[in-house]
Amino acid sequence: MTKKLPKLKLEDKCFPNLDGAGDWGIKGYQKRGGYKGLKKLLQTAPAEHIDKLKKSALRGRGGAGFSTGMKWSFMPKPEQSGKPHYLVCNADEGEPGTCKDRDILRNDPHTLVEGMIVGCYTLGAKAGYIYVRGEYYDESSRLNQAIREAYDAGFLGKNIQGTGVDVDVYVHLGAGAYICGEETALLESLEGKKGQPRLKPPFPAGFGLYGCPTTINNVETIAQVPPVLKHPLDWWTRWGRENNHGTKIFSISGSVNNPCNVEAPMSIPLRELIDEYAGGVIGGWDNLQAIIPGGSSTPILTKELAEQAIMDFDGLKPLGSSLGTAAVVVMNKDVDVLRVMTRIAAFYKHESCGQCTPCREGVGWVYRLMHRLAEGKGTADELDQLYAITKKIEGRTICAFADGAMWPVQGTLRHFRELFEEKLRDGK
Amino acid sequence: MTTTPLPPAPEGMLNVYVDGRLVHVRKGATVMDACKAAEQEVPHFCYHKRLSVAGNCRMCMVEIEGFPKPVASCHWPAAEGMKVRTDSETATTARKGTMEFLLINHPLDCPICDQGGECTLQDLSVAYGGDRSHFHEGKRAVDDKDIGAKIKTVMTRCIHCTRCIRFATEIAGVQEMGATGRGEAMQVGTYVESALTSELAGNMIDLCPVGALTNRPFAYTARPWELVGTDTIDVLDAVGGHIRLDARAGKVMRAVPRECDAINEEWMTDAARFSTDALSSNRLTAPQLRKGRGKGKLENTGWAEAFAAIKEAVRGVRKTRLAGLMDNLHSAEDGYAFRAFMQDALGSDNVDSRMAGNLVDSKSHAAGICNTPFKRWDDADAVLLVGCNPRLEAPLLNIRLRRVVKKGAPVFVVGEVADLTYPVTHLGDTAKELETLLDGKTAAAKALAKAERPLIVVGGAVLARPDGRAIVRAAGELAEKVAMTDSWNGFNVLHDTCGRITALDMAVHPAHGGMATAEILENWRENHVDVLFLYGDCDLTPADLAGGRGTLVYIGTHATPLAAMADVVLPAAAWSEKEGLFANAEGRVQATRAAVPPPLSAKEDWKIFRALSEQVGDKLPFDTLAQLRAAIAEFCPAYAPEAIGTILPAPWQGVGKKGKLTAKPLASSVGAYYLRTAHHRESAWMKTMQAEVAPVQEEAA
Repeated sequence: MTKKLPKLKLEDKCFPNLDGAGDWGIKGYQKRGGYKGLKKLLQTAPAEHIDKLKKSALRGRGGAGFSTGMKWSFMPKPEQSGKPHYLVCNADEGEPGTCKDRDILRNDPHTLVEGMIVGCYTLGAKAGYIYVRGEYYDESSRLNQAIREAYDAGFLGKNIQGTGVDVDVYVHLGAGAYICGEETALLESLEGKKGQPRLKPPFPAGFGLYGCPTTINNVETIAQVPPVLKHPLDWWTRWGRENNHGTKIFSISGSVNNPCNVEAPMSIPLRELIDEYAGGVIGGWDNLQAIIPGGSSTPILTKELAEQAIMDFDGLKPLGSSLGTAAVVVMNKDVDVLRVMTRIAAFYKHESCGQCTPCREGVGWVYRLMHRLAEGKGTADELDQLYAITKKIEGRTICAFADGAMWPVQGTLRHFRELFEEKLRDGK
Repeated sequence: MTTTPLPPAPEGMLNVYVDGRLVHVRKGATVMDACKAAEQEVPHFCYHKRLSVAGNCRMCMVEIEGFPKPVASCHWPAAEGMKVRTDSETATTARKGTMEFLLINHPLDCPICDQGGECTLQDLSVAYGGDRSHFHEGKRAVDDKDIGAKIKTVMTRCIHCTRCIRFATEIAGVQEMGATGRGEAMQVGTYVESALTSELAGNMIDLCPVGALTNRPFAYTARPWELVGTDTIDVLDAVGGHIRLDARAGKVMRAVPRECDAINEEWMTDAARFSTDALSSNRLTAPQLRKGRGKGKLENTGWAEAFAAIKEAVRGVRKTRLAGLMDNLHSAEDGYAFRAFMQDALGSDNVDSRMAGNLVDSKSHAAGICNTPFKRWDDADAVLLVGCNPRLEAPLLNIRLRRVVKKGAPVFVVGEVADLTYPVTHLGDTAKELETLLDGKTAAAKALAKAERPLIVVGGAVLARPDGRAIVRAAGELAEKVAMTDSWNGFNVLHDTCGRITALDMAVHPAHGGMATAEILENWRENHVDVLFLYGDCDLTPADLAGGRGTLVYIGTHATPLAAMADVVLPAAAWSEKEGLFANAEGRVQATRAAVPPPLSAKEDWKIFRALSEQVGDKLPFDTLAQLRAAIAEFCPAYAPEAIGTILPAPWQGVGKKGKLTAKPLASSVGAYYLRTAHHRESAWMKTMQAEVAPVQEEAA
């Protein structure tokens, strides 16, 4: 096996208090170096920040992996647009398996607050909204406390640290819909409407919240911006492969000895991640059956594929999967994979917003058919049909929800078709 | 396809290839626009040109070269050099996939569905549907929603296109339709199943591409292919929208709108759509004569006997003791013939078609019409409503007002305040506010003065007030001051029906010192009028005629309480049963066509007056409709064949008459919307719908 990556030291981490061992409050955060250098960041030209973000190859941590610097560069200049700008933080963490933002919100909320300040400044926004999923009530309270602390300490509000920069941050609680994690549905929800994705174009950078230029980023992405900007570039780029630099929080759950959220270098081999940080697969690596590498919407990997997997955006693509939110769900041989995947299909059926036809009608059909087949009722032809239906849904909808709902089904059929066939044989 | 660089498109246009054919579309156009320009029909459900783009049905997908996925053409912007394919495998399979998804949970109950035969889903499934299903799961069933008397719902058929929701929110301006639940559990309906309160709700029936929302009164009565459609005009309000009457076996079964951008776009009011039952119920089908001792009893008789009775009644009576009243649902032919009958055949000047108290003279054409054509209402940048509730008086025009409000135009109201579906600034209840506006000092006055194209709308009820002429004068002066340029005349009077305007054009009002409505009624009650020709109900009640012992001749369509008081009853044709010319509020003359013949012995109105004239006095000089129309055209050039459908210029000569503005609050002419004319009051459905919005008013009516 190749040489193992070193474990991150505290000073290498963007989220040194992710485990909650220290003080989450502003005192603890400042002791860990937080808000230090903020003033300087607010005095540097936004274009420089964006340039550095582009060079850093910080990519969106919410699952799509789009270059943050690039995304931020799409925003018009405030003097051009003549409208207020907004930065919206997507804390509607709903992807099954994913729980990284939750730990940020409750154990290191000031990382996000500082990120919002720097982000708002860079994007020319005077207001930032943090859309927290309704289930994270306790976390949102802690976030609100952190925001209040930041106001009291002069890091938020008017004329921050005498730099002339004004930033206000508001927390909004969602009402429990997965689809509100889709950025335009999130905006609709934030505006008080039914949470349904908007048609694109126009994109939020031109026509976002209340019709104004808006950037929407994941909690982790925004929170990583200040450390990236504060440190020399190579502090960040020494981790990970080209175009996948930096550190990332991995949420490891399922059949592992030590399920955890851990900040680790990008491009870490999947096996190393599980063995080093999560205490290994229960029953040993050879007891491994399958792994979902990046949250429920990423296609499943077999043990063989998992052994080759490099955990970064470009490393999982050739394996027919993707990094997603880096929520690793491990399934050993005690797990009924079909039951898990059917449950995931049920989740998507429940969470489809119902706006457009293929998703509204199709996702329920897929779930029901899959459920029936997983119980051994049906024919082998229907397995092909199931795949055909997923192909009629994928790529035909307004947002990417349906794609994310179909990929796990396709992945299951690709790698675990024999499990279905076995059930069908037993069912006869 | 071409590899040579494209020649540049004309200024402001884009080169787009659709299925290999080069078309030019304006910048900002969608791919669907480009397909239309290339005469390629793109199937769709949710897209509607008069609603916002939802893009949710996913039926209109096309392939665009270089795009990894099929694209919904209804919202995707066309780009220079774009190559679109509507017939490729990608596009076709995408549409077939969508159709399959729409059909899996659709009940496929076409044989018992009222939409059958005019259903978009049915039509498109012929092209894109499969001939067998491989859906073996349970189908979804959805509870039907009770959303009122107008619309029948079968929500299992709903394909969630949200057209109804968008119509209610955007056009009708009532936030009543919506979707609850998500995913496949999403249901369209009104919150807690409350009844729709819009006067335009029926349009959702036309918009619904499936049989989820259907015409409730029409339910299970006829199939679309059994119906014979007649293109005609809605004469029941002053807008004159284009409609089609669908009839079967001599009975009007339903009314639907036709497209006319200048007038009704493609909408129709509920009062027109749902009142067609009035055309075939409680009709007068034979002449009647009061016979027997004492007060006697009305009995069916022949035309000759009825005419003889009238001849007997008018014999020897002084011409000043004869009078005629006409109501507001009659065509130019009717009005011209009636006036000619009264004035020329009988020699009486006591003839009027105006509401009691309405003394507005019709010398100036511009004084009684909307000088701003309806289509140009869309350009208004400020609105002043004087004693006018456009939502009830002309819902189709309220759509246009809503549109300008959305663009930022302020609306000022003098008179009673009602929910017009948009915010208004209430200036006051009385006409005195007009003087304040004329002074020009208040914020509202300044806003009107600042606006380039202000719209002043005076409601029809204003004209029937003692100070009506003074109010019109003040509003006219204000219009002269702020709302008149070479290209804009913002002075508008909104009458209640087309017939009212037409009657004024036909000069159905007293001439040479004859009596007006109020005087006629008073003299009848006091027995100074010996024979009263009542042509329609004229918004009167039996109490208005109580005490008169003269001969009451009722010419009309329905067996109303007034008809029951008459001594002679002559059955006439309803507006749907004759060819007639009607002017709308813009002064645009339009022709109605007969959808069905008059019932049994009933006759076209002008023929009645022509035949009767021969009996009682001088024969009227027309024997055919063509001769009558020629006479009308000579009398009023707007009714000449070449002017039909157009608006003739109405020169501005000042309006109204100087007078004192009283402190009596201004009110709208329409109280109970669904009972607004004699026609509506004969409709059982209208009574139901009125009861639904205002049970108290129903009791009063």
